[in-house]
Amino acid sequence: MTNDFSIIGKPIAMVDAAGKTTGSGKYADDLSAPGMLVGKILHSPFPHARIKRIDITRAEKLDGVVAVVIGTDAPNPYGILPVGHDEYALALDKVRYVGDNVACVAAIDEATAEKALELIDVEYEVLPAYFDPEDSMKAETNLIHDNKPHNIEKDYHHVFGDPEKGFAEADQIAEARFIANEVTHAAMEPHCTLAAFEIDPQTGKPGRLVVQSSTQVPYYLQHKLSLVLEMPMSQIRVIKPLVGGGFGGKSEVIPLEIIAAIAARKAKAPVKVTYTREEVFWAHRGRPRTIVDLKTGIKKDGRITAVKARVVQDGGAYCSYGVVTILYSGALLGALYDIPNIQYDGYRVLTNKPVCGAMRGHGTVNVRFAFESQLDELAAKIGKDPADVREINLLKPPCITVNGLRVRSYGLPECIEKVVDRSGWKQRKGKLPRGRGLGIACSHYVSGAANSIIRSDMPHSTVNIKIDRDGGVVVYTGASDIGQGSDTMVAQIAAETLGCSLSRVKVVAADTDLTPIDIGSYSSRVTFMNGNATLKAVQDVKKQIASAAARKMSCEPQELTFRNDIVTKKKGHVGADAPVRPAEQSSAASVSGRVEGQILRGSLQQKRKDEGPKDSLSFEEAVVAAIDFHGALSGTGSYAPPLEARGGKHKGAGVGPSPAYSYSAQVAEVSVDEETGEVTVHKVWASHDCGRALNPVSVEGQIIGSVWMGMGQALTEEMVWKDGMLMNPGLLEYRSPSSVESPEVEAIIVESIDPEGPFGAKECSEGSLAATIPAIGNAIYDAVGVRLHESPFTPERVLAALRAKKNAKPINLTEGVDPTAPAKFREHGGSLWYRGKGPERHPLDPSRREAPGAAGGDD
Amino acid sequence: MSLPQFKLLRPRTLADAIGHLDKHASNLRVIAGGTDLIPSMRQKLFEPEFVLDLRHIPELKGIHERQESGVEVGALTSLTDIEHSALLRRRYPVLTEAAATVASPVIRNMGTIGGNICLDTRCLWYNQSLTWRKGCGFCIKKDGDLCHVAPGGTKCWAAFSGDTPPALLCLNADVEIVGPAGSRRIPLREFYTGLGDNYRTIQPNELLTRVFLPESSADYSGVYRKLRIRGSIDYPLAGVAVVMKRSNGHIADARVALTAVNPAPVLVKGASERLAGKVMDEALAEAVGDLAARTAKPLTTSALTPEYRREMIRVFTKRAVLAAAAN
Repeated sequence: MTNDFSIIGKPIAMVDAAGKTTGSGKYADDLSAPGMLVGKILHSPFPHARIKRIDITRAEKLDGVVAVVIGTDAPNPYGILPVGHDEYALALDKVRYVGDNVACVAAIDEATAEKALELIDVEYEVLPAYFDPEDSMKAETNLIHDNKPHNIEKDYHHVFGDPEKGFAEADQIAEARFIANEVTHAAMEPHCTLAAFEIDPQTGKPGRLVVQSSTQVPYYLQHKLSLVLEMPMSQIRVIKPLVGGGFGGKSEVIPLEIIAAIAARKAKAPVKVTYTREEVFWAHRGRPRTIVDLKTGIKKDGRITAVKARVVQDGGAYCSYGVVTILYSGALLGALYDIPNIQYDGYRVLTNKPVCGAMRGHGTVNVRFAFESQLDELAAKIGKDPADVREINLLKPPCITVNGLRVRSYGLPECIEKVVDRSGWKQRKGKLPRGRGLGIACSHYVSGAANSIIRSDMPHSTVNIKIDRDGGVVVYTGASDIGQGSDTMVAQIAAETLGCSLSRVKVVAADTDLTPIDIGSYSSRVTFMNGNATLKAVQDVKKQIASAAARKMSCEPQELTFRNDIVTKKKGHVGADAPVRPAEQSSAASVSGRVEGQILRGSLQQKRKDEGPKDSLSFEEAVVAAIDFHGALSGTGSYAPPLEARGGKHKGAGVGPSPAYSYSAQVAEVSVDEETGEVTVHKVWASHDCGRALNPVSVEGQIIGSVWMGMGQALTEEMVWKDGMLMNPGLLEYRSPSSVESPEVEAIIVESIDPEGPFGAKECSEGSLAATIPAIGNAIYDAVGVRLHESPFTPERVLAALRAKKNAKPINLTEGVDPTAPAKFREHGGSLWYRGKGPERHPLDPSRREAPGAAGGDD
Repeated sequence: MSLPQFKLLRPRTLADAIGHLDKHASNLRVIAGGTDLIPSMRQKLFEPEFVLDLRHIPELKGIHERQESGVEVGALTSLTDIEHSALLRRRYPVLTEAAATVASPVIRNMGTIGGNICLDTRCLWYNQSLTWRKGCGFCIKKDGDLCHVAPGGTKCWAAFSGDTPPALLCLNADVEIVGPAGSRRIPLREFYTGLGDNYRTIQPNELLTRVFLPESSADYSGVYRKLRIRGSIDYPLAGVAVVMKRSNGHIADARVALTAVNPAPVLVKGASERLAGKVMDEALAEAVGDLAARTAKPLTTSALTPEYRREMIRVFTKRAVLAAAAN
C-alpha cells in the first residue's frame, strides 16, 4: 500500500474542534424544547430494601409539578446484554444500592422538582446488604437477584493447554493476590437526556418519541426504549448531539435515558434530565474493584510456561456488561504474549453498590496490572532484564492463540524496541539515583469485538453516502463521535478515497432516522469497523464516478487518479488514448449540455469547448457526469468481522476475539519520596501500534489520554466505600490527576499496517491504558524495592510498604490492609452506625457490626 | 442541584452591611468569593433567607503598609492578590506561600483571605448532598446526633481546612471584627473554638473585616508545607506553617502551626520554646516534628487514613522547620 496519501496520515484538526472550543457546539444539556420540563430523580437511601409502598400524591399536588413517574409506569426489564435484562428504569419491587432509582418528578424547574422529591413517601423494608464480593459469594438468603444463587452473576472456568504440566516445567513460579480498587470514567460531561414526543402531524395525537442523549450507543438506546416503552423502534428516533467524553460510561443505556422518556410520556411534554455529578457516580458503570489471584511460571531462559488466574469482580447491583467484563479478563490473558497454558476462573459477583460496566480497556486493565507486575518479579527471580523477558515471549503471527484468538498484524516487538531505545532503558535501568526508577509494561486491546453482544448476523456497521450535483459529499454513519474523533475519521477516509478536499465532506452521524445501524462507540471498534464500512461505501460511489469519468475521458476507470479535487488520467496512458478523443469530447459536451438550471452550464460548458480535449476533470465535473450517467449517486458499505476471526468454540469464546489487536509498550520514570510515600511520575514513553495512524495528532492525543487516565488509576483515583456509601461522589474528592501532576508523555506511533483495517488502521483509544499502571508499579519497585499489590499506589500505601520492608516502627497506615500483600478490600474508617444511632439498616447489615476500633469520642 | 432561593443583599458600605446583619443575622449567610458557600448551599447545608454580598464594599479590599505597625489586609482581598503581593512576599513570605497553595488559580481569583479564615470545617460525612446525608443518617454538624468519625462522642470533629490561617497564626496576626456594637480586635487564635460545628467565636451579627500582620513578626523566614494528593485543587489533608527568625546562627524565635488535622488551625504548643536559642539540626527538627504529631488529632474526616496524616504532620513539620532555617 502506498504511503502517498493526501489526507490520511496527516495531522488534521477534528472537524468539530472549533465548535467545541468556542462553545457554539451543542451538547445535550445545551438543548431545549418549547414547553420543556425538568426531570429530577429520587434515589434510594438504602443499599438493599424492598419497596412496600410509594405514595406520590403529595408530590403531584405541588404547584409546578406536571408528572411523577414510578416503576409501575414502565415495568419492563432491560439491560445492555440479552442475558442481563435485570434492570428497571425505576425500581419495581426492590432497591439494590444507595442511589438506585425510585421515582422521577417532571416539573417546571429544577427547584420545584427537587422540592417535590421530598414529598414522595416511600415505605421500605430494609434487607441485609452485601458490600464485599467475597462475603457476597457466601450469601444463601436475601439474594440481590432471586435467580442468582450466591449472588454470582456469572462464573467461567477455562483451561487451555495443560497448566499443571506448564507449572511443573517452570523454574520459577510467582503467586500472589493483587487488588485493584474501583475507578470510574469521570467524563467531563455529565449524562443528559432530552426526551420529547412529537405530535403526529396527521392525527394530532402524541406520536413518535425523539430522544437526544449523551450516548455512545444510539442504536442500543433506541432498542431498549422500544422494549421498555413498548413502542416499535421505527417510532423512536435517537439523536446523539456532541458528547463530552464517554470512556464506556455512556456505552449502555443509562437509567436517565429511559426515565426521561417515561416522564415525557406521562407529562405530555418534553422532559430533560441532567445528572448531577453525584448521580453520574451512582450511574457509574465503571471498572469493578477486582481481586486477582495470579500464578505464573517461567523457565530460566525467560519463557512463560503457564498462567493461572482467579478473578473476582465486585460488579455492583446489576449485570450491565458484567458477563463480558469477566470474560475479557480471562480472554485477554492471551494475544499479547505467547502463553502455552492458561487456566482462568472468573467470578462476576453482585453486591449492593452502584453498577460496574465497561470502562476504557474493558476487562483487561486490572488483570494486566497483576500480570505485568508479576512478570517483573519473575524477571528479577531469573535474573533477566524485564524488557528482554517480554521480547522472549512474543507471539509469532500470523497465529491463533491457545485460547482461540487470531493475531495478524503485531507491532509489539517494535513498540518494545522503541520505548527501550527512547527511554535509554539499557543504559539507565537500575543505575538511577536512589528513589528514582524505571519500569516497563505492555498491553493490548481489541479493535472491536468480532462477535456483537446482540448475537445477530447483521453487519456491525453500515454507512451510506450521497453525492449531489453541487459536488458535496454527505456520509451517513451511525458511528457516535464522543470526542474520540470518529466524524473526522469518516470524513478523512471519504475525502482520501474520493480525492476530494475535506471541506467537501459533510458527516451526518448518529441519528437513527438518518443513519444506518451501527452498534456504537465501544470496544474500540469504530475506526476498524465503521472505517471499513465507510471505505466500502465510498469505493462504491467512486466506482460509479470513475466509470462515468472514464467514458468522458475515453479511458478505462482504473486509469484514473482521484486527488486534490481533480480526476486525472494516469500518465503513460495519454498517448494511447488520443485517437478516440474527438468523439468523446462531443459526447461529453452533450452530457454537460443537459445540465439544467445549474451554474455549471454556461461557464463550464464554454470552458470545456474552449479547452478542447481534456486529460482531467474537476471533481464537480466528474460528479455531474456520474449523475447524468447513473442517475442518483449514492453508495453503501457495511462491515462484518470475518468468520475466521470470531474465536473458538468453548463456553464464553465469543468475548475476546477481534479482527485485529492494538499493542502498547511503555516505560515510566518515577521518583518516590521514601519519607512520605509520594510518587512522582516524571515521564512516560508510550508506544502504540495502531496499524496506521489515520490522523497522527489524534492518535497521539489518545495515547497521552490513555496514559493520563492509567496514571489516575495507578496513583490517585479510587472510589472509597463505607457500608455501601460512596464516600467520594464528586470530582473534588475522587481526584483525577490535574495538569500539575501530568508528566511528559512521549507518544510513539508504531504502524504495523493491518491487512484488514481501513488503510491498515487499528484501534488507538484503549490499548495503552493498561500498561501505564504496571509500568508505574514496576518503576516504583525499581526506585525503592517495594512491590505494590494494591492499586492505586497512594502515598500511604507506598509508605506502608516501605515501612514493612524496613521492619520500621509498625504503624497502621492502611487500616489493616498491607498493600504488599492485601487480602481484602479496605473500607473507609469511622462508623456509619453506632449503638442504635445512624441510618435505618437491617440487623444483619454489615454496617451494624460493632467495629472494634470505633471508639474515638470526646477528648 | 439547585441553589436554594434567597434574597441577595448588596451593601456599598460597611455600615450598610452591619445594618443588614443587625436586622437579619439569624437567617443570613455572608458571601465574599463564594467558593465555599455556593457548593454548600447547593448541597442544602445552608438555606438562608438572606445572603449578604460583600463584594461591593471597597473599604474591605487591599493590602496596606502601616508605618511601624505592620501590614493590614482587607478581608475581601483575593488570595491571588495576596499570592502576588511583593510587599507580603518580602515581609511575610509564609503567607504568600500558603495563599499560593489554596485550591487552583481560578478559585484563588475568587476566594478571599477573609473567606479562607472563615472557611467552614470539612468532613466527608458532612460535605455531601442532602440525598447522600439521608443515606448516612446525618451527623452532629448538620441535622443528626451521631458523629461518624468518633461515634462514641458528642463533639463534632470536622476538620478546619484553610491554608492561610496556620501561616497567620505563626505571624501572630490579629483580626478585626465589626458588629452593631462596634469593632473589636482579637488575636486570630481566639477566633476559633476548636469545635467542628460551632467553630468560630464570631457572632452571627458580626463581620470579619481586616487582618493585621504585626511589625514584630515581619521579615521572618517562612515555609508552608501541604499534604495533598494532587498538586492543585485539593484542600490540605495536613498542613504545616513555620516562621523563624535567626541571629548569629541561632534560632531567635520560631512558631509552628498546623491545619487540616484538627477542628481548628492550631499553634504547636512548646515548639517555640523548643526551638528558641538552638542551632538547627536534624534531631531538633525531628523533635519538633514529634511535638506537632502529638498536637494533631486527625480523624476519618477526609481521604487517607488518620495514621498516615498524623505521620505526615511529623515529616512535613521536620522538613518545614529545616527549610525555614535554611532560608
